[in-house]
Amino acid sequence: MLKYDVTVIGGGPSGLSAALSADRANAKTLLIEREASLGGILKQCIHDGFGLLRFGEKLSGPEYVYRDIKAVYETDIDVSLLTFVTKTEKTDDGFILHLVNRDGVTSVFTKTIVLCTGCRERTAKQVKIHGTRPAGVFTAGQAQNLVNLHGLMVTKKCVILGSGDIGLIMARRLTLEGAEVMGVYEIKSEPSGLSRNIAQCLNDFDIPLHLSTTVKRVYGHDRLEAVEVAKVDEKMNIIPGTEEIIPCDALILSVGLIPENEIAEDLGVTLDRFTKGPHTDNSFMTDVEGIFAAGNCLHVNDLVDYVSENGALAGKAAAEYVKKERKYAKITIDRTLGYIVPQEIDLTTDLSKVEMYFRSFSTVKNAVLEIKIDGNPFMEKKYMVVRPPEMEKLVLDLSSAGLTENSVISFGIVKKEGDING
Amino acid sequence: MQLKKINENLEKEFAGRVSASLEDNIIHVTGELDSWDDVIKACTMASERYSKTHVVNDIRFTGAEIPETRVPSLNDKALDGKQVDVLVIGGGITGVTVLRELSKWNLKLLLVDKEADLAYHGSGRNDGQVHCGYDLSKGNLKHEYVLKGNAMYDKVCSELGIPFKRVGQYGGTLSDSRLAIKLFCFVKKHFHGIKDMEYLSAKRLYEIDPNLNPGLKFGTLNSSVGVVSPYELTIAYGENAIMNGAEISLNTYVKDMEVFDGVINKVMTNRGDIYPKVVINAAGVFAEDVAKMAEDRFFSIHPRRGTNSITDKKTGKYVKGVTSVKYHDPNAPKNTKGGGIIHTIHDNLLLGPDAVETYEKENFETRQESINVVFNKQEKACDKIKQSDIITYFTGVRAPTFEEDFILERGRAVKNIVHLAGIQSPGLTAAPAFAIDMAELTVNILKETMEVTENTSFNPVRKPIPCLKDMPLAERDRMIKENPDYGIIVCRCEEISKGEIIDALKSPLTVPTVDGVKKRVRPGMGRCQGGFCMPQVIKIISETMGIPEAEVLKGNTEAFISFGKTKGGEIDA
Repeated sequence: MLKYDVTVIGGGPSGLSAALSADRANAKTLLIEREASLGGILKQCIHDGFGLLRFGEKLSGPEYVYRDIKAVYETDIDVSLLTFVTKTEKTDDGFILHLVNRDGVTSVFTKTIVLCTGCRERTAKQVKIHGTRPAGVFTAGQAQNLVNLHGLMVTKKCVILGSGDIGLIMARRLTLEGAEVMGVYEIKSEPSGLSRNIAQCLNDFDIPLHLSTTVKRVYGHDRLEAVEVAKVDEKMNIIPGTEEIIPCDALILSVGLIPENEIAEDLGVTLDRFTKGPHTDNSFMTDVEGIFAAGNCLHVNDLVDYVSENGALAGKAAAEYVKKERKYAKITIDRTLGYIVPQEIDLTTDLSKVEMYFRSFSTVKNAVLEIKIDGNPFMEKKYMVVRPPEMEKLVLDLSSAGLTENSVISFGIVKKEGDING
Repeated sequence: MQLKKINENLEKEFAGRVSASLEDNIIHVTGELDSWDDVIKACTMASERYSKTHVVNDIRFTGAEIPETRVPSLNDKALDGKQVDVLVIGGGITGVTVLRELSKWNLKLLLVDKEADLAYHGSGRNDGQVHCGYDLSKGNLKHEYVLKGNAMYDKVCSELGIPFKRVGQYGGTLSDSRLAIKLFCFVKKHFHGIKDMEYLSAKRLYEIDPNLNPGLKFGTLNSSVGVVSPYELTIAYGENAIMNGAEISLNTYVKDMEVFDGVINKVMTNRGDIYPKVVINAAGVFAEDVAKMAEDRFFSIHPRRGTNSITDKKTGKYVKGVTSVKYHDPNAPKNTKGGGIIHTIHDNLLLGPDAVETYEKENFETRQESINVVFNKQEKACDKIKQSDIITYFTGVRAPTFEEDFILERGRAVKNIVHLAGIQSPGLTAAPAFAIDMAELTVNILKETMEVTENTSFNPVRKPIPCLKDMPLAERDRMIKENPDYGIIVCRCEEISKGEIIDALKSPLTVPTVDGVKKRVRPGMGRCQGGFCMPQVIKIISETMGIPEAEVLKGNTEAFISFGKTKGGEIDA
């Protein structure tokens, strides 16, 4: 049986970075990818805007990810393509992974695992869309795959539900391909995607954005013929009488991403109820010793640059992993935050540069992030605005915070009082 | 019931708007009503449960336009002039079971269905339960055949190579009457032939399934209840019939028939005229329409839709068999088994169905109200399952007569037709059994005019498409070494390989659509609902069938997925 120090599951941007950093830390590394080539979802993201933070350049998805793919093939990292993890087993000193690929079923031993399994798209039925089951209902990523990788024109006239980034990108993409995008509908009262995408994908193409409006039903027996949209109130309940039928041939859904953690769950990893990703410490290790998580399976990111960075941290931590007694401080959030990652701090690690990611629960202008330790103010950070669609990253020095086992670090957002510019 | 009494009742309820008449042992209900519920009420009032004297609904319904039957766009002469011994109309479980039983004889057999695949209507849209019949009493066809059919399932499924499991049906009650339940069990067991009927104490109930809500007093168990994939079974029956010489023509709809002197001479379809010796009416919700074309309409079908929800496999652990809670609900609909929570053969949970009368035979729309009704009911059995666990839902339409029994008989006014109508739950359970008797009836009719010999080369065994994810790793390894495509996982949720998809496309009844592949080997049945694998499935269909990706359909002839290539897409050859 082949033996590895680090096995990275998933060859998208987080997996590539994780494998590269594990390799740089001299770990014998295996990178497993289910598809025929590395790159993950970026293979189909032919629009630009990737890499501004990391490379200071605006790259397309394939260009961005090619840099890491090229780097991986210049190392000794074992890459196993078209390979699926079918079964996992925990042993005393690591894990056995049973892999399926064209060569058969093989098993490898690995000391650590970095889960980089990405996320999947929420589907029509998961947002309670009813009606018939015609062809022409696509998730945005599915439509993007068909258009960009298969060269198939999936619509001539469509409605997009959800103003998440992929939905916005697809609104522009389909318009460029000659389709008529009747509008982007968003159940929330504010857009879910990045502001820059609202400007560049909708406003620049005169595509209307309808807030507090959702799609209720689809019509059409074989191919979609129309959708019914309706306004919703503050509690997101449909307001009777506001229904409107919009004739179109496709419904494109960008209604949320769900971290893919089936392998994690099989291995007994606890998931966080806010992120739907593994509960991790500041090394991005889950509550199962030796299993790390990074990228979109940890929490859904909005920028790939963060995904890569996060992957690198997790990969390095996995390479440096040694089994030992650990002491933890807890992290809690109040209802002003949507989530925070990580969820606990391993006090036996270097605490001078703890990287954290969070989202606010709602949009707050002139916001102050208050961090308290055991109820006592530790630090504050000011933001012009925090918005749920825009993830915020924090780097904290907690080395002199006096953390002890069972310390609680709490996070909350308050609106800055008395700001005359507010 | 006397006709006079029926008309008195109708008069009282509808003040002269409808009336009933009896002619040739058929009760015709006529008049005009604008509410479909009233139509159902009137016909139900005129009918007697399990009677062989059927109600024919001739009420003019003015409340809405009853939609035309959906038909495929295809028109050719592929079947024109074809002479067959038996023409089966309808590719649901009823039609295919009879077709397969008939293939035990040396006969020219043809089955037609208007859809692009078998099991498109009721047989593909039910809960897959193999019933024990405990809700039925002696003295009707449903009761007779549910018992016979249930007993056949192990053998049939093993012959046809599809998974079947007797998971057992157990349920608790909120009622205090232990005696009533014990008495019910005793009567069912000793007087109605439900041999597996058992009374359960609360202790035993919770031993069987500790995840049931606390507070149930006692319950019942029927260990013969099983689960099967209804569409997989239908397809398997169809394929086995084809293996034994039968023909199946999909996208083929019957437009009309030429009947002379009580004999059907010709059946006109969109693919040409067919000349059958005997016609089998297995047309489900359209059985009345087929009977009408055959000039032998002596019953009516009143469609009744029901919606089922499927939840993520992660919830599979909560219920290991078929369960529901019995409690008194004055508003509960009468003509349904009431639904339940079912641990499906593929380890999801299925919740439902509800039951709503409808004038639309093929409206498969789902409504949130249906989901709510089912969840409100089933959370009384196990409240661990939430609507947020749902991965999909679907609607099916049942095909009952007003007498609510099966019709399994030779035509009354026409000699060469056999009606298998009114087949609703427990039709899936009963079909393997009644198919044998109906095949025999058909053969006897044929023997009136021709010699019929046994098909000595009949092979009951259909080799299944291998399901690699369930294999021991060593066997799976061996399979992949023989065919590396078995090692390429296409559907990550259900762990389906490219090789299995290609097998489905090379099976005896090829249905090269995304839905066709999905029904056979399950890519797209999982929690992402094809989000990842659908584009890959299109590619595999395109490569295997030698058709452009742009021509791959979702299902029916008009269910196109794309409008051709993107700008410049044609460069990619």
